[in-house]
Amino acid sequence: MLFGQAAHKPAANFKESGSPTAPITLELYTDYQCPSCRAFYLEVLPQVISQYVATGKVRLVHRDYPLPQHQYSRIATKYANAAGQVGLYDVVANQLFKTQQEWEQNGNVDGEVAKVVPPGGMQKIRDLVKNDAHLDDSVVADQAMASRDGLNQTPTLVVVQNGKRQTISGMVQFNILKQYLDQILAKG
Amino acid sequence: MKRHLLRIGLLIGQVALAAIFIYAGYAKLREPWLQFAVSLSTFKLLPDSALEPLARFLPWAELALGIAILSGILLRWSALIASLLLTLFFAVLIRSYAMGLQVDCGCFGSGESALGPLRLAEEAAMLALALAVTIAAFRNRSAVRI
Repeated sequence: MLFGQAAHKPAANFKESGSPTAPITLELYTDYQCPSCRAFYLEVLPQVISQYVATGKVRLVHRDYPLPQHQYSRIATKYANAAGQVGLYDVVANQLFKTQQEWEQNGNVDGEVAKVVPPGGMQKIRDLVKNDAHLDDSVVADQAMASRDGLNQTPTLVVVQNGKRQTISGMVQFNILKQYLDQILAKG
Repeated sequence: MKRHLLRIGLLIGQVALAAIFIYAGYAKLREPWLQFAVSLSTFKLLPDSALEPLARFLPWAELALGIAILSGILLRWSALIASLLLTLFFAVLIRSYAMGLQVDCGCFGSGESALGPLRLAEEAAMLALALAVTIAAFRNRSAVRI
């Protein structure tokens, strides 16, 4: 599982996974505090990864879209991206979604992340969250891209094939997504 | 005079109803079928196997119905079908609202406002229009053709 297994080898860009020559790129916009994003991440994404990303059919790009109405989404995003810089993006992103219902109550993102990151790595993450002025640069870039994609909710998938971008908003069930992906892969 | 006014009223209603269906079909067809299938899935009414066929068929049906209403050919029957469809849509929205489902109507493509009293009022207004056109078309046997 891309964002969930420690054994996964981080890509050069930690938010990307899969073959660069895959015929389809899926760009997934999520907010760590959004319940539907959690459901998509934990229920749908593992199947997408095992059946499409691992088989070279799809390249996956994670994009951040923290919604302003979610109080702790920004800080959760910072922790995930800081973890990415120390090679632990998958572990931390997975933990944030898994424990969303805990930290959204009290904002204790740090405490939930610390449960799955070794102390040395945790200290590096905390330093980055506190001191790295460029930590949000990728978020700003993702939000600019979201604006160009006409995003209005999370989760949103952007299916990119032959340079054409098609935006799919809302919680997509795997069975329907599979039908769609299989069709456009067959058409080429 | 009364008959003349009825014909004018029918013509206006006919054009408005046709525009609604043509736009609803067009708005869905300009997006991938998957987007409308996602909207349909939020109603939790249909099995997964029915989502793709319905997401592909319904927009074309709406477009065809809109064109039929606009042309005035078999207006009584096309307006009746429109009324039945809108009654069904309205019932589904009422059910979803009563159940507290967070649905994405998808009626006019993606990115619509959440389901609430305003959205239900819009749907009710469209149903009232369709019923009025249907009744007027049945009363005025020489249906208006554009």
